[in-house]
This record gives sequence, structure tokens and C-alpha cells, in this order.
Amino acid sequence: MREFFKRHPLIILVIPIGLILYFVYFCIGWNVWVSVSDWKGLTPSYRFNGFYAYTKLFTDSTFWLSLRNTLLLFAIIPICIVLGLLLAILMDQEGLKGSNIFRNLFLLPFTLSFVVTGTIWAWMYNPTNGIINSLFRSIGLNSLAGTWHTSQETVMLSIMIALIWQFSGYVALIFLAGIKSVSQDQINAAKLDGASNLRIYRRLIIPQLKAPLTTAIVILAMYALRSFDFIWVLTGGGPGYASHTLPILMYKETFQATNFSIGAAIGNVLLMIVLVLVIPFTYRTYRR
Amino acid sequence: MEMAQKVPSKVSYIIFYSVLILFAIFYLLPFWGALTTSVKTAKDVAVTSPLSLPTNITLSPYAEAFKELKKPLLNSLLITIGGMLGSVFLGSICGYALAKYRFKYDNLVLLLLISGIFLPYQAILVPLFQTIRALNLYDTILGLVLTHAVYGIPMCALMFRGFYGDIPDCLIQQAMVDGNGPWRIYRKIILPSTRIATVTVIVFQFTSIWNELLFGLIIGGPDSMPATVALNNMMGTLAAEWNVQMAGSILLAMPVLILYVVMGKYLIRGYMAGAVTAS
Repeated sequence: MREFFKRHPLIILVIPIGLILYFVYFCIGWNVWVSVSDWKGLTPSYRFNGFYAYTKLFTDSTFWLSLRNTLLLFAIIPICIVLGLLLAILMDQEGLKGSNIFRNLFLLPFTLSFVVTGTIWAWMYNPTNGIINSLFRSIGLNSLAGTWHTSQETVMLSIMIALIWQFSGYVALIFLAGIKSVSQDQINAAKLDGASNLRIYRRLIIPQLKAPLTTAIVILAMYALRSFDFIWVLTGGGPGYASHTLPILMYKETFQATNFSIGAAIGNVLLMIVLVLVIPFTYRTYRR
Repeated sequence: MEMAQKVPSKVSYIIFYSVLILFAIFYLLPFWGALTTSVKTAKDVAVTSPLSLPTNITLSPYAEAFKELKKPLLNSLLITIGGMLGSVFLGSICGYALAKYRFKYDNLVLLLLISGIFLPYQAILVPLFQTIRALNLYDTILGLVLTHAVYGIPMCALMFRGFYGDIPDCLIQQAMVDGNGPWRIYRKIILPSTRIATVTVIVFQFTSIWNELLFGLIIGGPDSMPATVALNNMMGTLAAEWNVQMAGSILLAMPVLILYVVMGKYLIRGYMAGAVTAS
């Protein structure tokens, strides 16, 4: 054994790679199998049932609503990017004191659990005496006090505002690091040529931020597609079905309604979206 | 060297600071509201504005929240430490092998790990649930440790691969010529010279496992429930008592907040490395 290990030292990698092969790849295959089975209820059943789960899913309006909401969350991506870039540029200003303090404050929401932020935002949005409505009323803007996450019309908007709050500081951090890595010589040269501050950002710095931009888009898209924790805590997918996303629907179908084959099918739909949207995007940007 | 001439004017500084401070208020407002609410009595919560300072400070919401969360917080600590150690160790050896050795199918291993980062967990939850039940690990700390350790491997491995890649190859070649095997080199050269990287990944993994909800919800039960699940359950049962809920949120956030204050530099490094890795 000792001798064998000496001759093949990398054999120890079998443990982590074996775990990944089983818990990621084998489980994906297993899940596909579940999705074409007739498993309903707590006892597993693997009898082949064709595409029953998928037809059932694709004819269910809740599925389409969940898919729409999931894709709707992508709308936070451009907003976080604009906001993050603005904050990064502001923090980058020469001679600005305390920019680290600002950076740490902006990043604070991102460090915390969605369960913490979800609970706090439930209090923020509480219609009777929550933080936001109290604030509006105290400055005489009673008309702006709303029902937020408790009404079907505004629930998705409320979720998106909170997610922008949680993610934009992180995007700012990514952009700030990108800005700092632009060569100082180039910037000085442009300054000597008399270029204005604004022009330097527009013509010199921002065009060099492609890598951080890709990073931000990919990470935000992944969070949007896997959006479970925050929504589960804030609304549980409600009111009604109004804030169901695919991960919420998957959890409810599988672990509450015990429709395991349908839950598995939803998981596969999410996997397909990731394969179609995220991976080619990453690949294309990094191949160049 | 000639000084750059265009330093923004005083007026623009005032604008910059105002905008930044405005945003700082936006980011901090929810925390301020949570903090003031958490030290008010239930009666004061009902009649005062959540943003106003409490007139009579009470810590009883914390006592009440702590009573509910004591065991789950301990569970979270065990799950987090166990899962963190597992994923950091396994990720580290993968990262080392991928950064410093060419072996059969090394590119395939790299691809399998990178793809693992993008896995939407919904696509494996049912098989994971079945596996954990088959191993008799449902509602156990060990089940959650195993789950977090495994699904943390891809991110840790790729972060370590990046950090270890910075170690000069000649150091390793010299050690090999001196007759050291790869794992002796790992212990004697790689680990001692990358302490900061290790701390970075540890802090990153600690916060991500501590903050996680989904696995806890599915694999945890009454015995092994992590604090995230417990706080969420509290919200369902104590809907009216906002002061207790805010106190509970702050208790749950506390370890991460302390880590952020004490080791923020490492956490930010981890976020940057994670960002580069994930794309």
C-alpha cells in the first residue's frame, strides 16, 4: 500500500474527485431518471412514465409564472451594474478619504445570510409600521407608503429592490478592483494630454472593464437562477403564487406536495437554462 | 515625477461625498431599523417609528431569541466548522494537483470542477435527499457536514489552484530533486508559504456555509436544524413580535459581522478570488 502510494502519489485525489463525480454528475443522471419516472408520494418509485412530468409541468400556468419571475430577476443585472460602476468610480476619486470605509459599508449586505436580510426586509416592507412606510409617513409622503411584498402587484418589484441593495455593493467591489488594475501610466499620460476626468473614465478606463463586467453578469445571473433563500424567507413564494420562482416551485412540488418526478423535472429545466445561458457566455468571453 | 494636474475641484468633492453618504444611508437604513427595533419592548415597537431611538432599552428580545436559537446556533457552528474543514482540505489538495502537476485527464478534472460551480442545486436535490437518507444521515449534523464539504469542493479547489499557481515552479522542482514526494512538498513548501490564501478560503467558506438555508431545510430536522432554518421558522410562528425577530437576525448575523470586522481584508480577498473563479 505504502509502496503503491509512493509510486502514484496523486491517488489521494480519488476521494474529492469521486465525491464530485457522485454528488454532482451521478446525481444529475439520477435526477433525470426521477423526472421520467412515476415517483409520487414519499416512497420512491422508478417505473418509467415517459414525459408525463414534463407535459404536466409545461401545461401548468404556475410553471410559466415561475419561469417568468425567474427571468424577471435578470432585470437586476443592468441596474446593479450601473449602480456598482457609479459607486466604484466615486470611490476611485483621487484624494477621496475614507473610500475603504464606504467600500466596506456597501459590501456589508452581501456578507450576510439571505435569511438575515430577508427577515430584515420583511420588517422594512411591513405595511402597518415597517421601516419604509414609517419613513415615508414621517416626511409627509403618505402616498408613497405601499403594500410592498404583501400585494401581488408589487411583490416582485419589492424583491428586486432588496436584491439590488444586497448585490450592488459586491458589483462595486468587482469594478473597483478592475479600475485599480488599469495602468497608472496610461492614466497619467492622458492627464498630461489634458483629458478631463470624465473623458478618462469614458475613453480609457471603462473600455478596459470587460473582465469585471463578465464576472458581475455571470455571478448575478447565477444568483437569479438559484433565487431561493431570500424569496423563501421574505414571501414563501406568495402572496398566492405571485413571487414563485423555479427554485421555489421545485421545493414546494418536491418536499411539500411530494411530486418527486415533477420536482426533478423542474430541476432539469433550471439546469438546461444554466447550460444554455451561462456556460456559453462564460466560454465565449474567456476563449478570446 | 510631475504631479498629475487634474485633481477634482472642491465642489466636486462635496458632490462625491454627498452621493456616497446618501448611498451609505441606503445600505445602512435596514440595519439601523433592525437594531433599534431589537432593543425595544413589543409595546414600543407598536407605537414608535422603527427608526426612532428607543426610550427605554430592553435586552429581553435578545434573551427570547437566544432561547429559541441556542441549539440551532450550536448546530450551525458544528456544521459550518465541519463542512468548512472538509471542503477546504479536499479543495486544497485538488487545487495543488491541478496547479502544479500534469497528470492523465487533468483538463477533464478541471472542467468537471468548474462546471460544478455552476450547478443549480435544484437539479440534484432529490438524489441528494435519497442518498442522505440511505446513509442514515437525515437530520444529523454529519449529513449536513458531508453535503457542505462536497459542494464546497469546486469553489475551494479553483480558488486554491489560483493561489498555488503563484508559487514559483523552481521551488518545487528543487524540492523534487532533493527527493521529496508531492505530499511532502505540499506540507513543507506549499502550505507554509500560502497561509494568507488558506485563511482567505477558510473565511470565505465559513461565511457561505454559515449563511446557507436550502440544504439545512432539506437535510436538517429538529435535531440538526441550523440557525438559518430556525430563524425562518421563528418568523412563521412569531409574526407579530418584530423585536424578537430582529434580535434573532442580529444574533444570526453576529459571527459573520465579527469576522467581517476582524478579518474583512481576507473576506474581501475571498470574494474577489471567488468572483474570478466563478467566471
